[in-house]
Amino acid sequence: MRILSIIFLLTVISLTANAKVKVIATYPYIKSIVKEIAKDKVDVSSLSNGKWDPHFVPPRPSLVVKLRNADLLIINGAQLEIGWLPPLIDRANNGKILPGKIGFLDLSTLFDLIQKPQVVSRAFGDVHPQGNPHFYLDPVKISKIAEAITERLCVVDKGNCEFYMDNLKSFKEKWQIKLNEWSEKMKNLKGTFVFEYHRIFDYFFLRYGVNIVGTLEPFPGIPPTTSHLLELIDFAKKHKISFITYAIYNPKNPVQFISKKTGIKPVLLPHDVNSLPQVKDIFFLFNEIVGRLIK
Amino acid sequence: MKKYIIAILLLFNFYVYSQDYISYTPSQFTNPFAQPQFVPNISLIADFSYVSRDIRDETYESLEIPAFLHQLIHKHGEHKHAPMNANRGFNLNYAELSLESAVDPYINLMGIFHITEGAFEIEELYFTTRSLPYNIQVKGGKFLSSIGRINSQHQHYWDFVDIPLIYKVLFGDEGLSEKGVQLTWIAPAPFYLLMGTELFQGENEYSFGYESIENNGKIIFYKAPVPNLYTAFVKTSYDIGNLTFLGGFSYLSGKTRFNHLEDQEEPHAFGGNTKIYGFDIFAKYFIDSYKYISFQGEYFYRNLDGFIYKNMNLSNLEKRQGGFYIQTIYRFSQRWRLGFRYDLLNKNEVNGEKITEDLDRYSLMIDFTPSEWTRIRFQYNYDRSKFIEDERKEINEFILEINFAIGAHGAHKF
Repeated sequence: MRILSIIFLLTVISLTANAKVKVIATYPYIKSIVKEIAKDKVDVSSLSNGKWDPHFVPPRPSLVVKLRNADLLIINGAQLEIGWLPPLIDRANNGKILPGKIGFLDLSTLFDLIQKPQVVSRAFGDVHPQGNPHFYLDPVKISKIAEAITERLCVVDKGNCEFYMDNLKSFKEKWQIKLNEWSEKMKNLKGTFVFEYHRIFDYFFLRYGVNIVGTLEPFPGIPPTTSHLLELIDFAKKHKISFITYAIYNPKNPVQFISKKTGIKPVLLPHDVNSLPQVKDIFFLFNEIVGRLIK
Repeated sequence: MKKYIIAILLLFNFYVYSQDYISYTPSQFTNPFAQPQFVPNISLIADFSYVSRDIRDETYESLEIPAFLHQLIHKHGEHKHAPMNANRGFNLNYAELSLESAVDPYINLMGIFHITEGAFEIEELYFTTRSLPYNIQVKGGKFLSSIGRINSQHQHYWDFVDIPLIYKVLFGDEGLSEKGVQLTWIAPAPFYLLMGTELFQGENEYSFGYESIENNGKIIFYKAPVPNLYTAFVKTSYDIGNLTFLGGFSYLSGKTRFNHLEDQEEPHAFGGNTKIYGFDIFAKYFIDSYKYISFQGEYFYRNLDGFIYKNMNLSNLEKRQGGFYIQTIYRFSQRWRLGFRYDLLNKNEVNGEKITEDLDRYSLMIDFTPSEWTRIRFQYNYDRSKFIEDERKEINEFILEINFAIGAHGAHKF
């Protein structure tokens, strides 16, 4: 009986205390953009902490609690969340945030994705049938993402639409200044060759004309094998490779192995907001990526 | 003669065909009624094993766990469920075919079919509601009950090849799977709090049953009113940093009918009530994206109270039985996991009299997953829970299991 009355109390508290719109983002970069647009007019939180592999966020029951109360769920999409999000949505039983509802926004639908496979088969590893889902690492795409988020916030929370529009405008202005700065800094890297661990920074490198000539994974999602690493080393002897980039959750041994054999500089790049302590928001994310590459 | 007929037929065929070809161009061939986009998510899981055991297969089949199981491999009349890893050497354990899709904006439908060499069974076939108000979900059909922790998980998601002993003796090799309905609700608390209740037909032949039992035309136990089994459960979860804790209570109550009148040895029948209480805990510490350490344990207690019919006599029978398992898993790299499990049936009383001392089993497993869809697992069991002719038989068992998944298989819950 006591338990029931506590639950009742909690219900009342949770229903009355929080009239703000609740937004749930699957990744911290989305949360950061929502914050830029909505400031403190909405409650926003992220399901992933930024340090984890975005493909394998541990599905914890606490995430169901977040989804249960959400008014708007914003996902990256293109099957980046396929391995962990669907059962959480199913368990949350929240009709507002189901695909197709106004409370569900899939950012991948905004763009034409690169590397869309001609043939979808797991003989080629953990392929994404809709194409490479890490589009947000192209900083130019961030403005469009911010627009889409603003548009949706205006539908879910009409009263604050003007406020959101104003913030979008000033965000885009600030962002344009940063874009100019980053493309200026990245100029010197145009035409260079890099290896990466997984095809995650492709959109970024494509934007600045950096060529990805090899991945440490033989196939997407399949850990590096010795024979594949030897092939890469062989290739590196014939071509000048500037960096091996990897994300914080990638195992370091294969990266160090190649680096030791070839002298190529390994560079740890933040793949999301909060992946490193200094990457506090979406501005810091690209500042840090660019900073680490041109150092 | 025959040759000519064939020749004429072939010519005619060619004539018709060439006529068609002249009349149409391939670009005009359409199939306006095809609906390939509506194919549900289909997946197939295959499970094979190689078993080595220091006991002959015939002996293994007839092993028993006193007051729990008469025969390790249960044979009730016609029905003989093909068990996993029953034979020494190679085993084709099962293929699991699953189909899943939204029916309409309101309902999802899931079908899971368990296929063995001799049988095609509906393991689960259920609907769930998609968006009822107040975060309520209704599930109906035939499905694995949500009691306990691993009961609702399929074999390929377990951390060990075989089901824990306490599950095997209370619910059988597949756990409690029944026809009925379920209602679950996620309470609006700041932490995870799920409450649920289920109403089932109550056919599980290890703890429940409702059919009347007759002997030579005389009714000994009347048919129990159906639906016969109801359950209730509460689950809650908290996070402390990278540590997730999940705990639950379960309660089951139903009528029981066991008909063993056809048995060769000591024919008997039982009719009465059964209550089962369960408690489960689970803790998982995420070291990084791939590595974790988890701890899991479940305890069940069963009270079976009623009458036993033996040698034309009815007498009181009350069983108080309980047991648990605890296990720990260490995923030490993206592809490798190591696990240890301890099983114990620590309470086994019939009419207040202790039947067996502690029945225990120790399991060690190591598995390798080259990709998300292949798993190769090695497991060693040292089993002290089985008896033959009232004598305890210690069994050593090595199992090499290989499991594959193809197609669109949904992600798993926590």
